[in-house]
Amino acid sequence: MFRWWLYLALLPLALVIGWFAYYPALSAIFWSFFHWQPAGVSTFIGFGNYATMFSDQIWWSSFRNLGLIFAFTVVAWILPLLAAELLISLKSARWQFAMRTLLIIPMAFPGVVTALVWGFFYSPNDGVINQALKAIGLGALAQNWTGQGSTALLSLLFVGFPFIAGLPFLIFYSSLQNIPTEVLEAAQLDGVGRFARFWRIDLPLMASQVRILLFLAVVGTLQYGFVAYVLTGGGPDNATMVPILRMINVAFQGGDWGYSAALSTTLFIITMAISAVVIVARKRGAETTDGGAM
Amino acid sequence: MTTIQSRRSRQIGLKTILIVLAVVSLAPYLFMVVTSLKTNQQFADSFWQISFPPHFENYSVAWNQVAPYLFNTAIVAGISIVLILVIASISGFVLARYRFGGKRVIFGAVLVLMMVPGLANLIPLFILMKNLGLLNTYIVLVVPYTAGGVVLGTILIRNFVEGIPQAIFDAARIDGAGGARLYRSIMLPLSLPVLGTIALLTVSEVWNDFFWPLLVISDNSLRTVSVGLQFFQGQNVTDYGPLMAGYLIASLPLVLLFTFLSKYFLAGVQGGVPGAH
Repeated sequence: MFRWWLYLALLPLALVIGWFAYYPALSAIFWSFFHWQPAGVSTFIGFGNYATMFSDQIWWSSFRNLGLIFAFTVVAWILPLLAAELLISLKSARWQFAMRTLLIIPMAFPGVVTALVWGFFYSPNDGVINQALKAIGLGALAQNWTGQGSTALLSLLFVGFPFIAGLPFLIFYSSLQNIPTEVLEAAQLDGVGRFARFWRIDLPLMASQVRILLFLAVVGTLQYGFVAYVLTGGGPDNATMVPILRMINVAFQGGDWGYSAALSTTLFIITMAISAVVIVARKRGAETTDGGAM
Repeated sequence: MTTIQSRRSRQIGLKTILIVLAVVSLAPYLFMVVTSLKTNQQFADSFWQISFPPHFENYSVAWNQVAPYLFNTAIVAGISIVLILVIASISGFVLARYRFGGKRVIFGAVLVLMMVPGLANLIPLFILMKNLGLLNTYIVLVVPYTAGGVVLGTILIRNFVEGIPQAIFDAARIDGAGGARLYRSIMLPLSLPVLGTIALLTVSEVWNDFFWPLLVISDNSLRTVSVGLQFFQGQNVTDYGPLMAGYLIASLPLVLLFTFLSKYFLAGVQGGVPGAH
């Protein structure tokens, strides 16, 4: 029996993702081979846009910045990891709940508010950081933090310090909570200390979660952009340029839509390649469904 | 032995470190609250302390400028949530509970999109919207949130509905319930928690998204919160009190939602991890 209404029920989903997700993605690939002029006549130029990309210094240096951002992000996980370990060691459940809540509150603030407030912290005259330096007699160290090439990228990286409020902390904390008490009791009987427990029990049991976090960090880093847009606009002199900003600038300031489509396609392919690795790595996940079907 | 026990029960050192970490995390937001009640004179005189009298009128100044952004954000989020929940709940139900040709292909097509960030589509989607003549409308804002939301929504709902025991559906079918009835009377009421999670994630997405509204909206009266705030910052760059008050007003609805519904929020944040399904 052909149940046509099942397909009718799925039609809205197919329309939405077909028209607004698959079609634009495929059209970007198509137009990346053109000197694309959305309002006029586009000419086919083959791999011309990709050739331009390979000699685009700004584009490649924006990937160097992404590499630094990624490395910093991963190293900075030490802080949420430390916070999760400390939190799990608290004996009082009430304290644990209160501290967990306080630590994740920053997640509730809109990202743009966090970026703007940090921008205010960095501002050269009335900025909190320069005022604090003056207050402790180190006024000579005051800088134009986001305005000079030597400190701009570092300033962006420190937005959100100490980086506890976020997915890594939640994942570290919940996987520490999920360690069976029998394991910990057995370890205690064997005289395993707190540090040995961290290395021998906590870390190995978190390994699969850390792997997911790493992939997420790669994909997240590829999308990094709005903090840079708000605080530095990619400057000074492209010191904080990132691929997303370059892609937007090429299209909206340079008017070179075909080239922008090529950059967009490149980012898309990189993301897909990384995600394919995620799927393969996660494939071993257990199927925990009821399995019923009609 | 006693010293160890008393140290364990009090854990002063541990608590101190955690409190320091919490204070550092929250410092920017505390500074924002304190500064939001100052005039520029008070700000110059006492940079760090709370100064008196507090100037609550900063909030009414900021409210007048920020309120339209909040209103726009609420409308866009509301429309997106309705569309997402309707489309995703039907699709999730069908994909979870029926067998039919092409099911794996269709669900695979949804899963693949889970891996593609919306930003990768920014440029072509902009041109698509421009050609449709939709720039500077609410529709242009709703479209990508809906497209992204139905992807995550369909996956979350499908997984949730697969977890509902088949016996419940069978019992209803023996009593004569058809597909529409099963959807409305059994699946929807049981799925309320996951529907709530999807709604919250959508609010958070609309509130936080930056580049899309930046590019497609140039009419200030249509801006949503994140881009609106950036514009607002440009307008009040030297008026610190109202500036910070505006940031706080723009954050408050999201912070309140997060505080009272954090269980659903966190379930969504962790459930939205690609590769977890």
